[in-house]
Amino acid sequence: LESNPTVTHYKQYPPNTSKVYSYFECREKKTEPTKLRKVKYDKTVFYGLQYILHRYLKGQVVTREKIQEAKEVYREHFQDDVFNEKGWNYILEKYNGHLPIEIKAVPEGSVIPRGNVLFTVVSTDPECYWLTNWVETILVQIWYPITVATNSREQKKILAKYLMETSGSLEGLEYKLHDFGYRGVSSQETAGIGASAHLVNFKGTDTVAGICVIKKYYGTKDPVPGFSVPAAEHSTITAWGKDHEKDAFEHIIKQFPSVPVSIVSDSYDIYNACEKIWGEDLRGLIEMRSADAPLVVRPDSGNPLDTVLKVLEILGKKFPLVENSKGYKVLPPYIRVIQGDGVDINTLQEIVEGMKEHRWSIENIAFGSGGALLQKLTRDLLNCSFKCSYVVTNGLGVNVFKDPVADPNKRSKKGRLSLHRTPSGDFVTLEEGKGDLEEYGEDLLHTVFRNGKIVKTYTFDEVRDNAKLKESELEDLLL
Amino acid sequence: MSPPTFASPNVGQRLFHTCSLTPPISTPLFLILDDATYPCAPSHTQYTEVIAFHYVLSWHTRKVLKRRLSRLVSRGSERIHTGAKRHCFAFTLSSMMAAQDFNFLLATDSYKITHYKQYPPNISKVYSYFECRHKKGGQYNEVVFFGLQYLLKKYLAGRVVTEEKIQEAKVFYQMHFKQSVFDEEGWRKVLEKYDGRLPIRIKAVPEGKIIPRGNVLFTVENTDPDFFWLTNYIETMLLQMWYPITVATISREFKKILAKHLKATSGSLEGLDLKLHDFGYRGVSSQESAALGGAAHLVNFCSTDTVAGLLMAQRYYACPMAGFSIPAAEHSTIISWGKSREKDAFECLLDQFPSGPVAVVSDSYDIFKACKHIWGDKLKERVMERSEDSALIIRPDSGDPAETLIEVIKILEECFGCSQNSVGYKVLPSYLRIIQGDGIDLNSINEILEKLSDEGWSAENVFFGCGSALLQKINRDTLNCAFKCSYVETNGKGMDVYKQPVTDPSKGSKRGRLCLRRNSDGFIETVERGAGKPHEDMLVTVFENGAILQEYTLDEIRKAAQLWEEDVSPSEHNKEDDTSLEIHQKHIINGVH
Repeated sequence: LESNPTVTHYKQYPPNTSKVYSYFECREKKTEPTKLRKVKYDKTVFYGLQYILHRYLKGQVVTREKIQEAKEVYREHFQDDVFNEKGWNYILEKYNGHLPIEIKAVPEGSVIPRGNVLFTVVSTDPECYWLTNWVETILVQIWYPITVATNSREQKKILAKYLMETSGSLEGLEYKLHDFGYRGVSSQETAGIGASAHLVNFKGTDTVAGICVIKKYYGTKDPVPGFSVPAAEHSTITAWGKDHEKDAFEHIIKQFPSVPVSIVSDSYDIYNACEKIWGEDLRGLIEMRSADAPLVVRPDSGNPLDTVLKVLEILGKKFPLVENSKGYKVLPPYIRVIQGDGVDINTLQEIVEGMKEHRWSIENIAFGSGGALLQKLTRDLLNCSFKCSYVVTNGLGVNVFKDPVADPNKRSKKGRLSLHRTPSGDFVTLEEGKGDLEEYGEDLLHTVFRNGKIVKTYTFDEVRDNAKLKESELEDLLL
Repeated sequence: MSPPTFASPNVGQRLFHTCSLTPPISTPLFLILDDATYPCAPSHTQYTEVIAFHYVLSWHTRKVLKRRLSRLVSRGSERIHTGAKRHCFAFTLSSMMAAQDFNFLLATDSYKITHYKQYPPNISKVYSYFECRHKKGGQYNEVVFFGLQYLLKKYLAGRVVTEEKIQEAKVFYQMHFKQSVFDEEGWRKVLEKYDGRLPIRIKAVPEGKIIPRGNVLFTVENTDPDFFWLTNYIETMLLQMWYPITVATISREFKKILAKHLKATSGSLEGLDLKLHDFGYRGVSSQESAALGGAAHLVNFCSTDTVAGLLMAQRYYACPMAGFSIPAAEHSTIISWGKSREKDAFECLLDQFPSGPVAVVSDSYDIFKACKHIWGDKLKERVMERSEDSALIIRPDSGDPAETLIEVIKILEECFGCSQNSVGYKVLPSYLRIIQGDGIDLNSINEILEKLSDEGWSAENVFFGCGSALLQKINRDTLNCAFKCSYVETNGKGMDVYKQPVTDPSKGSKRGRLCLRRNSDGFIETVERGAGKPHEDMLVTVFENGAILQEYTLDEIRKAAQLWEEDVSPSEHNKEDDTSLEIHQKHIINGVH
């Protein structure tokens, strides 16, 4: 199963090629007008390689049957015999169908500045030089978990900053951005990958598939890496009929007396629901709830910032507010708000900024994000690319690169690569095999895959630990 | 509860014995019934109908099976014929997602687990529907319905609930919610009463149909009052239909643009099916999305590099080979020769693929120099030796798409000359073509084609490749896809329900039971509140109580999704010489009748 061009590539390399070496990076876009983009994404979270290795590359991936099948498929597809049957049979016979390649990568969860090598792939058998770029299509799809994890982490930074500024602590930060994205992604598999990438940074999710991916491919010391709470949807409210919204609300909060429960309240009129139903009719019931089991009111339409502010304002008039140590308003602990409509990294910034301006603490609110978190992303957001940088032909190593005149951003790196930390703590990629010299210290790329075997794995706890917000980042945010 | 009975008992057993296959010890043999996969142990031969065989066997065995199945077909058993015809290609590559591993109970939004407690007491039916909501000033007025059959076959058909899955889900949700909210009893009832099959009915527009935005596309309801909570439990999964619908729709919009320009600058639509090549495999978010999106593109075109989409079309839409490709270079195969040997790399490609077309990415260093000095000079003779069937297709891959393409085509004209076609547009020699695969989306493709025709060039000269704009740069809001409850029955009484938020009127939903019909003016419309007449309803029951009742092949779908005459030549639409014959032809192209 591969993208087509690579089927025919074995014929295209120079004669006597014995090794092809390629690498993956999130390119820096130097010419981009950074002012246009509010979020610069200057660092990326490396995540998701272990899933791809386990799922698609490890073990015996080549069998006699698969070779025959592929041969048939490609013959029909190209209307010609272009499939490299001989090469695959060689792998089957010599390696029992295991892939003779080596992959070296930064540890999963690492936060690395753009423009650095993240992993390298090289063939380990001179006969199989063509295999390096055969696996490209599947490996490039790692753009997706990297991008989700990176974008989710940037949102965590925003939330951390405003939560700290308006409450003086980071309590509850991990539950501030809930994953609503299951229905809005393009497939079940994408849901699993994307949701697991969000959980690198947070603990709230409704995308069950993400937890399954983590349990199966990473593992955690906790039984599950993500949590949820009972919540209503429109159908469970509207099924009562328009005149019975109050009955629906009452029934649902009584069903879940001792845990938080979120109730979508905009089926007809969110402001009426807050003022009359929550604020008057059911007020007594809500006041009986505890800080561990708050009612969480959910608006679901309108301009996100305006709606949030108006909902808070209405609730603030109906329920007794307190002022926290930083001087911001907080609703009583038995009532909270969750905004899950129209939330992306930009609106999130606007909402928390707007709340701060209006003296509302971020303690009052949590967010849900769906399409923006898991789907509205492309490989270009972080300019993910996989390029060949080194080949051995006739026994001689050659550093290769592309450098199109029409777009200098597409220039690729040269030669064998390694990643290092400078004495000042910055990351640096050394090209042309220079990292071999001892003076540059340890290469941060570790072999994770060799000849069909996964030789290094990370637990999800390690991934989270690598990706957590560093003290220095928090200090920068609060400046 | 035993499995449902079928018309002809023991067909499965007979077919199985007729084929008399002995699986090798190490490779299991599976029997697929209602698309659920069972290990074919002796105890399973009781199953009465074989929908398909799924082999993890040697190629030789497969060939034998194919032959035997076709022999059975010739004996005239219609039922077996259907099964064999539909699925004889279905036992190809091993599953991309292990269906056996898939737990249906874990494939929903967490909060759905808690909904059975939230509906009104005595509720007995929940009826919901899917639409691409109409948005004022929206870009796409009509959508292609595609992809439901995949979801049904892969995730919903057959015995999706088992005791093991219930136990797994119970433990899982206990930890996930840190309390017990999972409806264990309800699910066990599905297992006991329906042998783990879903008591749900789904009615849908036939796949491939072109439907204006704002109309119902499918409806979902429970068929047993005990399982009112199931309708919206499967919303999460069914709403992912937005993806194949959106890809198929966008791809068809590309086709409209290409058809318009091709017709205008060449006088025919020849080669239209190959004009837009799917380059999206690497840019999508997963293998499964690649398969689904790749297949959706193949509704409109026959040109792809996303092999996963071909396999999906084989397995789920009975199309043996839905798309074609040609050998092509990538940067690594060029640059591995070293910067000073780009010419040698190019020449190697011409040598290696002498008989068919070959695409060569030529911008590794300088696309213009490559065209002028390498293709147009050093390798000119070699290029001219090639024929129409083995054309060299030059691929630029950076820079402004329109400007780069125009400059490339001008350089090639200088070096190789050009001729004029019957409608007066310039065409490069037939052994030479260009493919633009960088920066292509609906806007840029139109811009490029306009610039080309402004400069007198026919659209015949170019192919396009499209990656993320086709398969990834889209989301559920592109076509405003929504799934909403519109009707319930409580205490035996039906009630039309809807949402209508004051904060956004466009999020209002339809009311009551729905019917999709073509009205007397020929327009497709949705009739709400149960007022539709059954004989007019275009929605077909495709799924009921775990079984798939209606299937479509990719061929049928392609036919239904064909372009309409007015899509191709919109300007001619108002001409007065609209004869009745032409109107008749329009309807044929329409696929209406």
